[in-house]
Amino acid sequence: MIADYLILSIILFCIGILGVVSRRNVFTVFMSIELMLNAANLAFIAFSRLHESMDGHVLAMMVMAVAAAEAALALAVVILLHKHKSKLDTNMFSLLKG
Amino acid sequence: MTDLLLLLPVLIITSGAILLMLLAAFENVRDEIACFGAMVIFLFGFCMQLFGLGQGDARIFSGVFNEMLVGNSFTAVAGLIITACGFFTCLSSHTYFKQNRFITSEYYALTAFAASGMMLLTMAQELITAFISLEIMSLAIYVLVGMHRRNIKATEAVLKYLMLGAFAGGFFAMGSALMYGGTGSTKFAEIAGFISANGFFASSILVVGAFFILVALLFKIAAFPFHAWVVDVYDGAAMPVTGFMATALKTAVFAVFANFLILDGGLQASWVEYLFYIAVFTMFGGNLIAIGQNSLKRMLAASGIVHSGYLLIALVAFTSRDFTANVIVFYLAAYAVATMGMFAALSYLSGEDEQRITFDDFRGLAKVRPFSAAAISIFLLSMAGIPPTVGFMGKFYIIVNAINAGQVLLAVLAIVSSVISMWYYLRLIITMYFHEARDDFAVAKSPLAQATTFFLVFCVFALSLLPVSV
Repeated sequence: MIADYLILSIILFCIGILGVVSRRNVFTVFMSIELMLNAANLAFIAFSRLHESMDGHVLAMMVMAVAAAEAALALAVVILLHKHKSKLDTNMFSLLKG
Repeated sequence: MTDLLLLLPVLIITSGAILLMLLAAFENVRDEIACFGAMVIFLFGFCMQLFGLGQGDARIFSGVFNEMLVGNSFTAVAGLIITACGFFTCLSSHTYFKQNRFITSEYYALTAFAASGMMLLTMAQELITAFISLEIMSLAIYVLVGMHRRNIKATEAVLKYLMLGAFAGGFFAMGSALMYGGTGSTKFAEIAGFISANGFFASSILVVGAFFILVALLFKIAAFPFHAWVVDVYDGAAMPVTGFMATALKTAVFAVFANFLILDGGLQASWVEYLFYIAVFTMFGGNLIAIGQNSLKRMLAASGIVHSGYLLIALVAFTSRDFTANVIVFYLAAYAVATMGMFAALSYLSGEDEQRITFDDFRGLAKVRPFSAAAISIFLLSMAGIPPTVGFMGKFYIIVNAINAGQVLLAVLAIVSSVISMWYYLRLIITMYFHEARDDFAVAKSPLAQATTFFLVFCVFALSLLPVSV
């Protein structure tokens, strides 16, 4: 039963990584990052059940709070980008090439 | 009482940051007032941290915080470096924003917030505490990087940093979840206990989790496979912000890295082989990038990668808990002094809208501003590791530590790398001294950045006299 949740969590995490790596739209990239964090939350809750302690639940709440703060900042950046270029394609932003 | 004294610097910086943020809402609180307020807060925090220095090793309020925070001489010195960096950043920002008008008074509150996150990070003894303080620090730094809203370069830098930083944050969260699953706890001490009882490779979940956290931390210190972002982000950020990121942020992340890996985590033995290669590639990769740069900011960013490589050597070559910790904080202080000084000098020399930024722009600086050129030369020589400076002592201890641990090859490679790094440090000195001046190097009226620069020149020599106990 725990294993199923873990597998789901890992699948979500992989979808998140794939989204960050392959998608070009800023919105989709940030959504994928949220997916990664939520995969971590699911793993926390599942392990919390496994160890029969409430720690994991608390930790998941903390991660959620951080994810919300990060999303707020990401949206601000999206607005900023839209003001400059009126597009949200990451390929449009290539002034800095290290 | 000891607990309170150890926690007090963080409390001061955090409450100061909140106060500054509230004050910034008033229209008649101008950025200059916020700047002086932030200076006072940082100075106060620094003094309090000095008091906490001799307080020994303690789990801070272990009943309330459930042993999540620790205070000892290692965290206290790291806290000293961070508060000092914050203070000098405020000083050089004051001058910088006379010539680059995009300041709002929230800037200083965000600097203080970032510093409070960093100080919590150095004390963190638990993965989620580390994650939260990492994010407190990063979120404030993201905003600082993108402060210049009309500048598209700054916007691109913050996009890049936010995307990659949040990606690394996701890895850190997942890594902590897996380590929690593997060991039943997120505390460093209990993880170490589990590993010494059962062995590291007993639980595959634990191995994957530790790998994820290592990836996230290597990303934050800009080590080899994850170093590409640092040059671009530093290039896009404002000069004092770049200085703050290069010094204080690196100190904080290295402190938690050291805590996690060797001092309390007991993970070092399992990773030492891989960290060896990461350290070598970080040093030489950073050198390769730095040699090709034309912009000073980008060169300093790339040299920051090289210095991360030296610090990784100290993590690989672990001799004794005390000596290695001392070596790491000493090197961090040495690097912070020289880099902070460089960025303070650039804050006032770069002129309006950062017009002087490449090597060529600094031709003949010594003819027009001999003292500034001499100060920059001293900082560069300290970074390169020339004897009477603190940078030399830092490298000396790193190499001694490596040889004591039996990592002779790594010590030799560190020396080779520091010889190569001479190329781009001396290049700037030659440009400043052996060319005719074409520019008048007009600077802003505020003397604070100059004062910072010359004070840090003094520190470069004074700190090199500090003994490091073996």
